[in-house]
Amino acid sequence: MEALFFNADTGFLEGIVRGYRSGILTTSQYSNLTQCETLEDVRTQLSTTDYGNFLAEEPSPISPSTIADKSLKVLVDQFNYIKANSVYPLNKFLDYMTYGYMIDNVILLITGTVNKRETKELLRRCHPLGWFESMPALTVPTTTEELYESVLVETDLADYFRGCISAKELDTLNIEIIRNTLYKAYLEDFATFCESLGGPTAEVMGRILAFEADRRTINITINSIGTSISKEQRARLFPTIGRLFPSGNNALAKADDMDQVRAACDSVQEYMAFFATGAAQEGRLLDTDSADDDGFKMVEQIDDKFFAEEVNLNKQAFLQQFQYGVFYAYFKLKEQEIRNVTWISECIAQDARDRIQDYIPIF
Amino acid sequence: MGTPVVDEYSSLFRSEPMSLVQLFVPAEVAHDTVAELGELGNVQFKDLNPDVNQFQRSFIGEIRRVDEMARRVRFFSSQIEKEKDHIPVRPLYDSAPLITVGPRAAQTMDELDVTLAEHEAKLSQMNESYEVLSGRLRELVEARHVLRETAVFFERAEVNQTEIRTSFDDSSAPLLQHDDRENQFSSSNIQLDLEFVTGVIDRARLPTFERVLWRVLRGNLYMNHTDIAEPFIDAATGASTYKNVFIIFAHGDALLSKIRKVSESMGGTLYPIDPNADKRVESLREVNGRIEDLDMVLYNTGSSRRTELVKIGESLKSWEDVVRKEKAVYETLNLFNYDVRRKTLIAEGWCPTRDITMIQLALRHATEESGTTVPPILHELRTNKTPPTFQRTNKFTEGFQTIMDSYGIATYEEVNPGLFAVITFPFLFAVMFGDIGHGTIIFLAALFMVLYERKLARADLGEIFGMFFYGRYIILLMGAFSIYTGFIYNDIFSKSLHLFTSGWSWPEEHGVVTGAANGHVYAFGLDPGWHGASNALIFTNSYKMKMSIVLGVCHMTFALCLQVPNHIRFKRPLDIYAGFVPQMLFMQSIFGYLVICIVYKWTVDWSKTSAVPPSLLTMLIDMFLKPGTVETQLYAGQSIVQSGLLLIAGICVPWMLCVKPYIEWKEMNRVHAQGYVGVGQDANGIGARHGDLEGEEEGNGRAIVEDMDDEAHEEHDFGEVVIHQVIHTIEFCLGCISHTASYLRLWALSLAHAQLSEVLWDMTIAGFLNPSGIIGTIILIVVGVAWFALTVGILVVMEGLSAFLHALRLHWVEANSKHYQAGGYQFVPLDFAKLSEKD
Repeated sequence: MEALFFNADTGFLEGIVRGYRSGILTTSQYSNLTQCETLEDVRTQLSTTDYGNFLAEEPSPISPSTIADKSLKVLVDQFNYIKANSVYPLNKFLDYMTYGYMIDNVILLITGTVNKRETKELLRRCHPLGWFESMPALTVPTTTEELYESVLVETDLADYFRGCISAKELDTLNIEIIRNTLYKAYLEDFATFCESLGGPTAEVMGRILAFEADRRTINITINSIGTSISKEQRARLFPTIGRLFPSGNNALAKADDMDQVRAACDSVQEYMAFFATGAAQEGRLLDTDSADDDGFKMVEQIDDKFFAEEVNLNKQAFLQQFQYGVFYAYFKLKEQEIRNVTWISECIAQDARDRIQDYIPIF
Repeated sequence: MGTPVVDEYSSLFRSEPMSLVQLFVPAEVAHDTVAELGELGNVQFKDLNPDVNQFQRSFIGEIRRVDEMARRVRFFSSQIEKEKDHIPVRPLYDSAPLITVGPRAAQTMDELDVTLAEHEAKLSQMNESYEVLSGRLRELVEARHVLRETAVFFERAEVNQTEIRTSFDDSSAPLLQHDDRENQFSSSNIQLDLEFVTGVIDRARLPTFERVLWRVLRGNLYMNHTDIAEPFIDAATGASTYKNVFIIFAHGDALLSKIRKVSESMGGTLYPIDPNADKRVESLREVNGRIEDLDMVLYNTGSSRRTELVKIGESLKSWEDVVRKEKAVYETLNLFNYDVRRKTLIAEGWCPTRDITMIQLALRHATEESGTTVPPILHELRTNKTPPTFQRTNKFTEGFQTIMDSYGIATYEEVNPGLFAVITFPFLFAVMFGDIGHGTIIFLAALFMVLYERKLARADLGEIFGMFFYGRYIILLMGAFSIYTGFIYNDIFSKSLHLFTSGWSWPEEHGVVTGAANGHVYAFGLDPGWHGASNALIFTNSYKMKMSIVLGVCHMTFALCLQVPNHIRFKRPLDIYAGFVPQMLFMQSIFGYLVICIVYKWTVDWSKTSAVPPSLLTMLIDMFLKPGTVETQLYAGQSIVQSGLLLIAGICVPWMLCVKPYIEWKEMNRVHAQGYVGVGQDANGIGARHGDLEGEEEGNGRAIVEDMDDEAHEEHDFGEVVIHQVIHTIEFCLGCISHTASYLRLWALSLAHAQLSEVLWDMTIAGFLNPSGIIGTIILIVVGVAWFALTVGILVVMEGLSAFLHALRLHWVEANSKHYQAGGYQFVPLDFAKLSEKD
């Protein structure tokens, strides 16, 4: 059915986005980038890619943050172009994509305000896709209730926020809880929306969002082990979608250490692999000096694996036609690419060439 | 391929013979040499280090420097564009050229670099101070607005206050004792004890601001705002924003600080003002004074900035030119290879064989200019690679060649249809556009463009008019040919000309006018006697339809014949016997025969014979469906002739289909039988080895040993040959029929054009041609102008474009498919002149 009418509204944009996708840096382009000696070389190299002369008007010398900012601007321009040309349900779908950034911005602003950061600096660091009109006012409220009633009530995040009004004070722990509650509600809502679209969109986005939910669940578990968050509270933060739901989630809610986390994830083969090498590393490093550092390393490693798996899932989204998943996938891939380019240019700028290969190749 | 034979004169018939040349350029004259060759514009350099990254090449440092200079130049031109007053930019042809070759080149570039950097520094400093000043001015202006507008709020608030107080007074008697104090306050113009916040905020943000405040303060506020009428213009971006003055009354420090925080976070600017009216007047005066001062300073800064820009504008174009050329030079140098000792650069490139002497002269010139004694050495390489296609055009043939190039670039040394398009294209156009009047209009328009081409070429014409200008010679010929066909059709703005004695006279009998032949023969074109006759349309239709077929078959036959020079040049005799000959026979036995019948039928005076004129269409159909029978005879022995022709056409099909694959198969078997299997068929083929050897013999192995395998011989696959031949045969046989029918568009468009212009005449001007009195004359003039405008707009421009498109199609599809392989690639030399055109 979707094949019949999809192209009438979205065919053009799908073509555009698939064209954008061909502009994503390839392995050979990455290997060229990693050979660069200076950031000037990076600029020259990027000018031969789809980025074109986006850095041409920048006076030398350039900094990695300029590269990051400018490439983010490329992404934002592309997103806005797609969004401006879209109609229902794609525009709604794209709106949903921005909610994630909005949540990040909200959390960033609240955290910044709690830590007494400069408002202008905070606003500058907000993701442009998650910008909403009344966002700057977030720096004013001091309690969650105020936060909700003064600003968020009129935004699309209002529904997601209802669950966390109970938390009174804005401190670091509560903010984390707010972030995860918001994300849980957001992911569930997004998943419901994609489900309502049906067809291949539901299939592709279901896969991606399930993974996203599982990633959050596992991260929450790992981060909350050994903190004051109770297990019931922890369980409440888990999204109720994903491949670990419900049995894996239950097990994770009860997990007390990494071994139990690993055991809980055994039901899903792909996730098992993340821990497998992590465990080997752990075993090898166990007798060295600090266990904390070791755990940190492992978490970091799992994080990288998550990113790689996310890239993989997003790549798969391009294999199917007549679905909105490509839009999500493309912008996520582009984000990853920007992270990669920024990483590479940081490595070059700080002369840390031994770690320059630690980017996540896409195509 | 060997050294191509060079004729004395270049022609468009085949593309220019090209040579692969190798240049040994001493490093110190490399830049000047490339610059010289760029001015000359006839060498296409090959990339000799395709495996090297862009940023690892030798001249990347220079390119970066030039890029930085280019960025500065772009910055200047964007600044000049943004400036509100017009800054004169001296055009390139008026500017003194900057010499970037010769011994002083490096110094010139250094100086230019410094100059540009200085100008940039000066300009950005001025911009900065301008921005700072205008920011300050904006703040002051905002403050002034706040002061002015809030005065209104306060007055209103005062009224309200009195009301509020009165109501209080009614109910709360104990407060009476405060009355005198309050009176004191109001007499000294002090407001009620509500605190307030005043400021300015972006109008777009105002609603959100209001909403957020309402929520944050839970409604405990009284807010008022007014629009500031004039926009604020950002000095840096030139964008204008509208703003509003707001004043918020609230109670309590906590609330006030919240208001301040919200307004700051929403990008508002706060201006604290005094509740005391006198003090407000005082500060207003002060603000006004400071605004005046700032205005003065700002004006001075602006004018000195403008002076700077004017100075830049004088040499901007020559800078642009230099930067563009230098970049091209260094990018070309990056394609070169260093020899082992890094003293000499080795370049390879294609150039027209004819121009080698010119290139050598240029090389010598470059050496002399740069003041060294070691000249660059040029010598030709022998190669088996296909050279690029270069059609040497001039301003007249350029447009026609572009028409064919946009279909496909000719294979090297293939017969170039662009040459014939010079005549066939305007002619086929004119067949569809035949009208003396309309033809004259476009002829004159094109003539104007041709006569003033020097002036027009300099001016920026815009995309659409620029396109017409580019095709001015095509249009000129189209106009001339249209006038010619207009005479043939005897059509001028849908009217006829009586140039000679008509062959018809019109005696009137019983109110019915019937034409009678009077023995004259109209000397040229259509007899005007047909104009207005009731059977005029029937006559012209039949005439134009048959003419279209005749022209079409002629055009296709001609195109088919163009195969022969190709087959001879590329030594493919088989293609003549197994391709050209049966194709020709097939086409001529059906459509050639039809053309002969058409002409024969025209020569017979059917009114004098007893026979009925046969329908040629039925005749052609019957020739296929009922071979051997003829219903209405055109000439004696017709059935035998037709059966014979059908037989010939029938034989031609298997001829085309089978002969070539069969002979190739036999050839392959022969080769196999002699045992030549294996070696030649793997990877590169014999040719590549051969090339390698040659290169080594000439002692320049490094530069020439490269990817020869991009020319690797195609594997001889018999299946492929058969399939190709089947497709080709089917395409040709069906194509013959559909293409002949396709030429009927000549008739259709010509008919549509004639009818449309007649309708236009009848609907507008025809009724007012004999004006009575002044009003009639005025109407005639008005209608005449309307008629002329519509003639130009619809009949000349729109119909002209449509006829152009159809002529284009007839060339691309019907004619080119008969012979044009178009498998070449364009010769793109390093050419400074084209470089500047591109921008």
